[in-house]
Amino acid sequence: MGAVYLPSQYGLLLVPLSNVQVKAGDKLRITCRYSHLGKAETQTLYAAIGNSGWAGFDEVLHASKNISVPEDSAWDYHEEYVDISITTAISAGFYDLYAKIGGAIPKVISPTLHDVVEVLAEIPDSEFGEITINSYAKV
Amino acid sequence: MAQYAEIVEIVAPAEAAVGSRVDITVKIKNKYASAIGIMVGGALEYGVTPWPGINFPDDTENVAGGVTHSFNGWFTMPNKRVTIHAYSYYYAGGSWYFDDEMTKIVSLVAVPASQFGSIEIVSYARR
Repeated sequence: MGAVYLPSQYGLLLVPLSNVQVKAGDKLRITCRYSHLGKAETQTLYAAIGNSGWAGFDEVLHASKNISVPEDSAWDYHEEYVDISITTAISAGFYDLYAKIGGAIPKVISPTLHDVVEVLAEIPDSEFGEITINSYAKV
Repeated sequence: MAQYAEIVEIVAPAEAAVGSRVDITVKIKNKYASAIGIMVGGALEYGVTPWPGINFPDDTENVAGGVTHSFNGWFTMPNKRVTIHAYSYYYAGGSWYFDDEMTKIVSLVAVPASQFGSIEIVSYARR
């Protein structure tokens, strides 16, 4: 199960996060909250599934969409989501999540949520291995 | 020149953001030797007719002679520079009489360039 550290009056608080199970064919909706100040603009909301490591975030699947950011004369919060299509390009296992706003040079990047996405193995097509007679009796 | 209820100051910010609440204080001095009733009023000039009013929750006060009273009010900042007109009145013979006026300009805060402070993932769910 994943977890995230959040600031609190007692210092950093470790908050456990529930996992979401997905398989190929599903979509994972990632909802983000961001703070903004200033003029309206169109930006890219980007989210990725992958593995976070010492060398950075190794993305396996990702998605993005344009969002309309409203004019904010003072700091304000907004929410938007992006859907990542789960394909067979990702193998079974636990994965991390992160999101960002902006293109190659992000405006802002979210903290990484560790091990919150469990990709389930594909259930294979029906096939039979062997058959044996377990018993025989008069009925 | 005020006869009895002299406006000595309008306290207001030099600029405010559109849609924000602007708190103001109008300070009125009783120039008379003894206590009189003083009332405050106000209007906003920014190109619309009639001029919208300013909210003063407590707009009247019996003010002792020589004392300055502060009347607190507020308005919502319009989408352009606004001129505050503050008015004072004194009470005599069963009627209110206009006495003094003062103005002050509140400019519109320029909207800064777009900037982002933070982003966090608040939920993730299979669709």
